[in-house]
Amino acid sequence: MSAGKILVVDDDPQIRRVMKATLVGHGYEVIEARTGEDALEKLPQEMPNLVLLDMNMPGMGGLETCRAIRAGADTSVIILSVRHSESDKVAALDAGADDYVTKPFGIEELLARIRAALRRSPSSPEGGPHAFAAKDLEIDFDARRVRAGGKEVRLTPKEFELLRYLVAHAGKPVTHRELLQAVWGPDYGDEPEYLRVFINQVRKKIEANPARPKFIVTEPWVGYRFVAP
Amino acid sequence: MKALRFAASVLIIAAILALYRTLLPVNNTTVALTLLLAILGMSAGWGLAEATVASLAAVVGFNYWFLPPVGTLTIQDPQNWVALLAFLVTAVTASQLSAHGRRRAAEAEARRLEIERLYALVQAMMLSGSARKTIREFVSKVVQVFGCGAAAFYYRPTDEIFRSGAESQPVSDHDLRVAAEIDDVSIDSQRSLATAPVRLGGRPLGSMALIGPLPSEQSVRAIMHLMAITIEKARALEDASHAEAARQSEVLKSALLDSLAHDIKTPLTSIKAAVTSLLGGAAGAESELLTIIDEEADRLNQLAAEVIEMARIEAGKLHLEKRAVAVAEIIDSALSELAPALKGRTVTVNVPEGFPAAEADPEFVQQVVKQFVENALKYSPEGSPLSVSAALKSGKIVIGVADRGPGIEENERARIFDKFFRGRRHRFETKGTGMGLAIAKGIVEAHGERIWVESEPGQGAVFYFSLSAGGGGRES
Repeated sequence: MSAGKILVVDDDPQIRRVMKATLVGHGYEVIEARTGEDALEKLPQEMPNLVLLDMNMPGMGGLETCRAIRAGADTSVIILSVRHSESDKVAALDAGADDYVTKPFGIEELLARIRAALRRSPSSPEGGPHAFAAKDLEIDFDARRVRAGGKEVRLTPKEFELLRYLVAHAGKPVTHRELLQAVWGPDYGDEPEYLRVFINQVRKKIEANPARPKFIVTEPWVGYRFVAP
Repeated sequence: MKALRFAASVLIIAAILALYRTLLPVNNTTVALTLLLAILGMSAGWGLAEATVASLAAVVGFNYWFLPPVGTLTIQDPQNWVALLAFLVTAVTASQLSAHGRRRAAEAEARRLEIERLYALVQAMMLSGSARKTIREFVSKVVQVFGCGAAAFYYRPTDEIFRSGAESQPVSDHDLRVAAEIDDVSIDSQRSLATAPVRLGGRPLGSMALIGPLPSEQSVRAIMHLMAITIEKARALEDASHAEAARQSEVLKSALLDSLAHDIKTPLTSIKAAVTSLLGGAAGAESELLTIIDEEADRLNQLAAEVIEMARIEAGKLHLEKRAVAVAEIIDSALSELAPALKGRTVTVNVPEGFPAAEADPEFVQQVVKQFVENALKYSPEGSPLSVSAALKSGKIVIGVADRGPGIEENERARIFDKFFRGRRHRFETKGTGMGLAIAKGIVEAHGERIWVESEPGQGAVFYFSLSAGGGGRES
């Protein structure tokens, strides 16, 4: 059994070759796509667990492809890019990517990121909450369902993990590092911009007024806290 | 022409008098009223002077031929004196009124014509992107629309003279330059020459001369104002199109730098991924060789990144996203990125409690701190301690990185932030591109701040840069 199916999307054939050779060597099944359009076509047939997506491609480009993938599936997406500025990272995460890796990268780093992206905690970790209910928010952690303001909302796996961790520690401030390591994995901790983007997205989905959040509040200089009314 | 009209007016009066005297005997009142009618007609048609001459002729003739004693210029009946005087006063006054009305009508007509012409001039002015082209067009349109013989314009910013019409020679270049410095319109009707300065809000733009049949002084002023406004508009348009062109070339530069970065890093990505993948299973000499490939790929990547960053700084393409940021946080992240290189060194960090936040782009500023620390590591003996500190000096945040290296000689201190500069002692020893400090300087200067080094040879060196304190934000 393979460790997972990965769709590698890059317009550079050499990069696809290296990735294929390496990832297959580490037990993954690899399919390739040359462009974003190509990737979107292959996605429904192949149903990969993870997409490694180049940001700078001719045609629709990485960000747009990422948004299109997110609109249809919960597949994890890691964006690969030669740009290393924070604004580029934030743009990628905003487009729905779970992670961002700067080119060139060491293969160990990429493998760690892939493992983190594929890692899903069991539907109800021990000691974790099974459900949460308040006036405007109902969460069923076992069925992975969230209702906010009476409407069903869809959270991506990472957004869901983030919410689960905060609810499990309701009332207590959770530091940036702790939250990053809990949701992304032990190699993380110095990516506060990831949290900024993901917390914003979760707030947009569950808060009545995301600008004045009721459930997920910011603890200045520390992290975030879930408030159960 | 004038003389002919005087003669005609006297003749008309004579004809009326002769008509009544010889052919149609009527009473004196009818004669006087007929004369009055004729005089009114003349004043309306020709003007006051002609009517006055006719009035005097009529008084003399009427008295001589019609008022008793007929055939003399004396008057017997005092009543007839009154009649004659009344006739004279009525004739002259009515003439005056009529002539006045006529003059007014003529003036109004002339004004209307000039306004029409000014309006035509405004309409004819198509603004082109170039101020010079617009001026040339304006000068030729003025001649065309106002029917002057010629026009000339002196454009002060470029010291150029634009002429239109063949007869523009009477006014010399020198005259025009002088006119630009004089305050008011000057009209020399003998030479049919009007010169005036062209100004906008007191700022001299140049001067203009009109030669030949001249419009009124008001029109000349209006033309000057129109000229000033037209030039200003054309210049604004010109500036805007220059700015647009500059912006487009900047966009192009930026896109080129981006694609360069992409093109260099793409093959490096394949090399790095391949070699790190091989390294996982390698041992002995093979591992050593693969490590060399890996390290050199990193070095090449670093070099490419620095070259592109330097190009970006020099093109003024650094996009700063400033915000209030904790100084301790900047220093910590810089140090944690350098953690592997800092092994075996003691680094003291000194940021006072309650230190104000800095207003800066954290990513770039972190790069400056990192550069300072890397530099300190490179140029100080292995194992020697480093210190990073922040202090407030006259309202500015000053961050410094100190080492216990050999220090920097005075003649090298000024040039140390130059691109590709290497200290004399280290020119052939230390690896690196020689761009690190130049990039740091570019980043600090893009923030509008200062970068400098203090050093005593043998005592180590301290590299500093300043930042402005952010709006009230305090570190917790």
